[in-house]
Order: sequence, then structure tokens, then C-alpha cells
Amino acid sequence: MRFCKQCRVHVEGPLRRCPLCQSPLSGQPGENAYPALPPARKPLRLPLRLAALATVAVAAACAAVNYSLPQTGWWSLLVVAALASTWLVLGVTVYKRGSPMKAIVWQLGVISSVTLSWDLCTGFAGWSLDFVLPIFIPCAQLAAFIVAMALCLRPAEYLFCLTACILAGFAPLVPLLCGLLGVVYPTVICVGISLVALAGLLLFKGAELKDDAVRRLHL
Amino acid sequence: MDDRNYLPWWRLDNAAKIFPSTSSAHDSKVFRFFCELEEEVEPGALQAALDKTMGQFPLYRCVLRRGWFWYYLEDSPLPALARPEGLPPCFPIYPSPRRSLLFRVLYYRKRVSLEVYHVLSDGAGALDFLRALVCEYLRLRHPEAGLPAGGALAPGVSGRQKEADSFQKYYEKPARRFGLPPSAYQIRGDRLPRNQLAILEGRIPTRDLLACARSRGATITELLTAVLLRSIHDGMRVRDQRKPVAVTVPVNLRNYFPSFSSRNFFAIIHVGYDFGKNPGSLEAVLASVKQGFQEKLTAERLKEQMNSLCALEHNFPARVAPLPVKDIVLRCANRMAGHAATASFSNVGRVSMPEGVEKHIRQFGVLACAGCLQACAVSFGDSFVITFASPFRSRETERVFFQELSQLGLGVTLTTNVEDEVGQNAVL
Repeated sequence: MRFCKQCRVHVEGPLRRCPLCQSPLSGQPGENAYPALPPARKPLRLPLRLAALATVAVAAACAAVNYSLPQTGWWSLLVVAALASTWLVLGVTVYKRGSPMKAIVWQLGVISSVTLSWDLCTGFAGWSLDFVLPIFIPCAQLAAFIVAMALCLRPAEYLFCLTACILAGFAPLVPLLCGLLGVVYPTVICVGISLVALAGLLLFKGAELKDDAVRRLHL
Repeated sequence: MDDRNYLPWWRLDNAAKIFPSTSSAHDSKVFRFFCELEEEVEPGALQAALDKTMGQFPLYRCVLRRGWFWYYLEDSPLPALARPEGLPPCFPIYPSPRRSLLFRVLYYRKRVSLEVYHVLSDGAGALDFLRALVCEYLRLRHPEAGLPAGGALAPGVSGRQKEADSFQKYYEKPARRFGLPPSAYQIRGDRLPRNQLAILEGRIPTRDLLACARSRGATITELLTAVLLRSIHDGMRVRDQRKPVAVTVPVNLRNYFPSFSSRNFFAIIHVGYDFGKNPGSLEAVLASVKQGFQEKLTAERLKEQMNSLCALEHNFPARVAPLPVKDIVLRCANRMAGHAATASFSNVGRVSMPEGVEKHIRQFGVLACAGCLQACAVSFGDSFVITFASPFRSRETERVFFQELSQLGLGVTLTTNVEDEVGQNAVL
């Protein structure tokens, strides 16, 4: 054990100077009480930073070319919006990577919103409501079901997210009833699948669903 | 009952409700108890002991989840693993990208450490877990000695009693609402990079410390609080002395209201001293601290404080506010409460271990991360360990504190996680 004559304290460990006054210590060194730790690794940080830099470079290059050739229209805005959409979806996926069920629900919400926004901002041809959403939502329901089964999750771990995906399947009813759709078959099939899924959920997991609601909604 | 569809869950207790909203990388709300043995830790035996101890503390097998109105604890099948120490002390447990149990069991050389997220338990509850774990470990390592198992530490205490929310048990609607104490001096200075903590442990013979405190007619906690207040004052600028120095002291409510709960059951008292208006001698500060403790450490005052905090939780508009709103409000409330404290000092008290187990243990220690300077103390046998955990580069408060204890004639032995080659900037 070492000793600091200045502070009159003993010091354990391999220190050569007093941790209080920085004076040299006398005596024999001891062992560390705390391990020397390497800096924490953040495996995704470098690839994400490189990808972000590449995105900014592409956006800047497109904006510069577009500014130099204004007669070609403002296509660079579409490029920037596409890059932003990609990052939004990627960000949600990375942020929720620890919980695949939550990631599916978030992706469903974000991708649906982005698709609808693209359709609205590009003249609203109706392709998002006619095809993309009614096809994408049952796919998300199926993905949630497969993940829950594949990971052998307990009901409490998947019921809320699965229910959210199934209830989302009724959202396309709104444009259907408002007469906004050009092609109705995908929406009708989506709502039909969701109805069957909801009935199955209530019949087979109704009690667990109630338990889950009690936990999540307790005051 | 092993029904896959039945999932035990627990509401958070009153004190725990604020922690998930206010935890961050620099204020992880994680505290660590360590037990230094006389021998190197054997990982296999530690894991076996942990598996057995988990059976006695079912609440420890849970994860934190977000509800719509409150966070809650939910039973989890995640395994509890004893791991070699590979993270900085009190590294955040929640929020984390991956769902995990709310505690860690770590080992390094002769030390077994238990890091607990404050949502799960307070110091007294966590200490029960560590004592049971160490007892179980030593029993497995020394089968010939016939040591008692960890379960023998609290005979006759049921699982229900350990899981009980004692705040709810003793809550009565208060006549007076909660008021914030006045704002106090805040320690400034550069922080260590990457939210690290500089740890400085000081070991003092308990007998000498007790004699020193008694000779001044004070308890150990009162003496150390007074010395800490003076140490903080030493680093203050003259213009900062307009504000008082205030130290928060957690109080174990189990000592006032019978409870066997291994969850949170504590209150916090503020002990302050205005160096701008009063003399700074140890005698004067100690007299004021003693008076502060005497006034605030009564069952009536503690119950009043507990009730006023519980009343916030029982307030109907507060209950029905969605969790994201609560998160924001609690974060603001935490920041306001933080302005009322300069530092924190927590004396966990004496750790007792069954006969036969004691000779295998060298010392216990405790440290905590709360975003400001934290001093924690625990005694075992004749070893009283005070541990400072500081997010600041400067360790002037700690220097003055231990130098003053040394000047009081106490033998201090220091241990730290800070390397000396590059001054005070490198943490191991």
C-alpha cells in the first residue's frame, strides 16, 4: 500500500501520485480495484455517419446540377425528399431494432405516411390509397404474426403490436366509404383480412388481450 | 403457477415513478453496491449463487415497460447473468436499445458488484439482494464451513412482503401540499468525457470515526455531512455564497414505518448551510447540521413529506395525463428539484452478515450516479467506506473532504478508478 505524506492518507492501487494532491507516493503499489476499460464500441456509428455524409453529398450535387440547369424542372426536390424518406424509415428501424414487433408497427406508420405524402405531393393520382396501403398493411400484419411466432414471444410481448397492425387494416375503410378510391378490390380484401384476423385474435387471445389492456392502461 | 399466458406485473412505487422519465446518460439513476471478498471471485459459483438468489427476489426478474399512463414492471424470461466488469460504473440500464433486466451482477478480481436501476429498489432493498447473493456464493465456495444460505438473512419474510409498495400502505391524504426547498449553490466545472464517473473511495476505521463523531456529540452521518458542506464551501467563489450549500440525504423509511419491502421506500431531506451569513467553522456547521437532522428526522415530518409526494401521484388530472406528457412534466420537476441540492450524501449504515460469512469479506461499498456529486457510505465490521462518484474533472471537494478527515486524526485509505499519469482526466 502507498502513502501520501502531504495528505497523510494511504492509497491502494497502482497510482504513483496521490489522487488528492498529486504528490508522489511512497510504498509499494497494489492492484487496481476497477478494470481498465477500452472505449465503448458503437458498431453502427461509422457506417451511419458515412451513409449520412454520402446522402448530404448526393443531395448537394443534385441541387447544384439542378440549379445550373433550371430548364429541367425542380427534380432535385424529389431526390432530397426520397433521401429524407429513406432516412426516416431507416432511422425508425435502427431506433427500434431492439424490439422487432415495435419496429414493424413504427415502419407501418412511417411508410404509410410517407407513401401518402408522396402521392399527395405528386398530384394525388390515388395509387397510394388504391394499391400501396391495402397491400402493405396485410403484409405488416403477416410480418408481425411471423415474428411473434418465430421468436416464440409471449402473448404480452406481441399482442399490443399485433392488434395495432390489425386495427390499421380498417383505416382504408375511410377512403373507401368517402368514395376516394379508383380501384376498390385491394381495399376490400385488406379490410376482409383484417376482420378475420381481429376475430381470430379476440377468439383465441381475448383474455390475454384484456390483461394486456389492464396493464397498459392502468391509472 | 407456470402459465405462459399469465404475466405478473407491478405498478411502480411512488419514488420509482419519477426515475424512468428523468434517467439519461449523465444521470443514469443507477447505483452500485460492491462486496470485496478476501479471495478472487469464481464466476461459475457466482452464477450458481445468482440463480438461487433470483428465486428469493421475484421482482428482480422483471423489465420496465411503458404503459399509456404510467410505466410498469413486467415479469421477464430474460436470464440474470453474472458478468465480468466491462462497462463504466453505473452505466445506464434504462433507456437502452435492448430490453434488459433492471440490475447487473458484475465481478472483478475480489469484488462482486450489484448495479441496480433505482426504479427497482432503493439502497436497503438492493443491499438485501447483495447480502443474499454473497451468502449463497460463499456457501457454495466453502461447503465445508457449513455457512448459512442467503435465504436465512430474512427468515419469515414472504415474497409478497418483499414486493409490497410501502408508500401506498402508509399514504394518508395530506392537509398541506408539497413545496420545493429554496435553490442552492450548484457545483460548476468541466465534466468528464462520455458521461464517465470519477470514483474515489475512502476507507476509515469505523471505531475511530464513531469515536470522533461522539466526541463532538454527533452521529457519523451528521459529522460527515458537516465535513462535506465545508468541503463544498471551500471550492465556492465569494459571489456564489449568496446561496446556501444544501446536501440531500436519503432516509430509509423502514426505520420509521415497519416494512420488509425490497422496493423503494425512502424519503429525502435537505440539510443546508448558508456560509454567507454564518461562520464556516466545523463546530458551527456541525451544530446547524445536528439541528437540521433533529428537526427533519421525525416520523411526523417524514410522513408529511411522504404524503405530499404520494398526493401528487394520486391527483386525478396527473393520473390521467398521457405518459409522454408526464415525461416532460417530471423532467421539468426533476430539474427544479435539482436546483435545491448541491450534492447528495447517503449513509446506508451498517451491513451485517451471518456469523461465519464475515471472515470471508473485506469490505462493502456503495456508489451512485445522479448527475451531481454523490457521496455514499456504508460500514461493515471496522471498515467504513465513503465513496464519491463525481461527473466533474475537478476533485477539489473530495480532496478537502478527505484531507479534513485526515486532520481530524482519522486514518484514510483511498482507492480510485482514475489514472494518475495524465492528471485527473483519465478514468480507467
